[in-house]
Amino acid sequence: MRSPYRIAIATIAAVSVIVAAAAAGRAQRGAATGARADLTARIVVAAQGVLTTLDEAERARVQFPFDGPQKARWSNLPSPMFQRTGVRLADLTSAQRAAVMTLLSTALSRDGYRKVVDIMRGDEVLRTTQGSGGGGRGGGRGPSFGENEYYLAFVGAPSATAPWMLQFGGHHLAINLTLAGSQATMAPSLPAAQPASYTLEGRTVRPLGNENDKAFALINAMDASQRAQAILGYRVADLVLGPGHDGRTIQPEGIRASALATPQQTMLMDLVHEWAGIMNDAFAEPRMAEIKANLPNTYFAWSGPTTNGSAAYFRVQGPTLVIEYAPQGSVDHIHTIYRDPTNDYGATFTAK
Amino acid sequence: MWGGVSSAHRRDELLQAARLAIDPDRVQLTLDLTPGIAVAQSVLSAIDRDANGSISDAEARAYTEEVLRAIALDVDGTPLRIELADRAVPPIDAVLRGEGTVRIRAAAALPRLAEGRHRLRYHNGYGPDIGAYLANALVPASDRIVVAVQRRDVDQRDLVVEYTLRGDPAARARAGVPVGAAGALVLIANLWWRRRPREAR
Repeated sequence: MRSPYRIAIATIAAVSVIVAAAAAGRAQRGAATGARADLTARIVVAAQGVLTTLDEAERARVQFPFDGPQKARWSNLPSPMFQRTGVRLADLTSAQRAAVMTLLSTALSRDGYRKVVDIMRGDEVLRTTQGSGGGGRGGGRGPSFGENEYYLAFVGAPSATAPWMLQFGGHHLAINLTLAGSQATMAPSLPAAQPASYTLEGRTVRPLGNENDKAFALINAMDASQRAQAILGYRVADLVLGPGHDGRTIQPEGIRASALATPQQTMLMDLVHEWAGIMNDAFAEPRMAEIKANLPNTYFAWSGPTTNGSAAYFRVQGPTLVIEYAPQGSVDHIHTIYRDPTNDYGATFTAK
Repeated sequence: MWGGVSSAHRRDELLQAARLAIDPDRVQLTLDLTPGIAVAQSVLSAIDRDANGSISDAEARAYTEEVLRAIALDVDGTPLRIELADRAVPPIDAVLRGEGTVRIRAAAALPRLAEGRHRLRYHNGYGPDIGAYLANALVPASDRIVVAVQRRDVDQRDLVVEYTLRGDPAARARAGVPVGAAGALVLIANLWWRRRPREAR
């Protein structure tokens, strides 16, 4: 027979464990929030590191008001087909340029930074093989390719607490990282590539190779019934929600992730991480958790052949996520887009 | 020279991206037409009809009307009249650079539809020789519309959206007011009758 004394002890112990677990959870969340706020502070220091290298005219060129139109001024097109503003790498000294790259390496994950650099180097390959571009301002109206043709802008003043955006882009690249204290989003952003594969110093570089290979692995991991749901019966020629299509949500199509087996869901999340994980791990982690929480209502759609090496379009769409991968007529020219229909440009945490 | 663009971006197609927003009483159509650089001149010749190097308002209107004439919308087989709501035609040099997009916004009123399943059909017959098409239904703004399925031909020139129209809760509430009022009157009359002194009955 249990004594009241033992029951009381057991109850107190159980309550203590629950309280301790809750406190630990709060502490963990608090620590994670603190780590993200610290990261923002480090990004701000790196951004100020860029600003201190610029002269007054350059500082005026790089800085834009947070509530102005600059936020939405990004494109996949090369300059000057799309006229970018901000400071252009070609106009910077090596020290200034180094400060910009330090800022990017601080704000992005290791893989994200590598992806950005690989895209830029790919454009340099395009410049040398196409024999065009590099003309710069006033040097003709042709498109300017190459790793010098990327622009940095700060939309809002870099701040550890107030909202601002780090905008970096050029041909086939738009990184829009909105920060507000411990919160951050990289939606919308556009990583793209042409050529999609090139050789640099004896090494084959595929800026979006993981995205391609993981998607083909996923579609090929599906059984016939799953594929029948995932594969769209029509051609998709381009991004549906590319540049200029902010604030639109299309009806989702394809297979629902709830119809996938657990290993297939893991593959889908791994694929999504190729985009969500471009920003620094501290910010990517809560973003991935949010996407995972919405996984049952997330869809995967495919258009095209399922043999790797073919040009195929795919889309991942959930309540807070849109990813599109759209080959432009060949496997060597890829456009992609990453969006959060609920939080593009940090709408949820920058609203006044 | 624009040679570099040739391999950098879509060059020989006229991308026509359509988005359909279905409301209970109308359909809104947004159509973006972006000519690739190799077909820009032929598309421009259809816009700048007097070839004077600039696009007048009348030319812009004529072009958008020509495009809309090639678009067909019907609901449950009943053709819908498409009305132009707004248009934006880019400068000629932007089109020639391959960055110009003609934006057309149009709308079609829907007939009064019964609650239940309906079928909206969209057909784009414009520029079939050079067209590359996208057609998508947007997530409806009204919770009375639930899109069930979208079906397309392989080129996305044809899109069929099957959707369910739910009843209007506000209309139901409005319809319920007279019934409720009548019921309340009957109840009050009944109570009054029962409370009358026995001798008064």
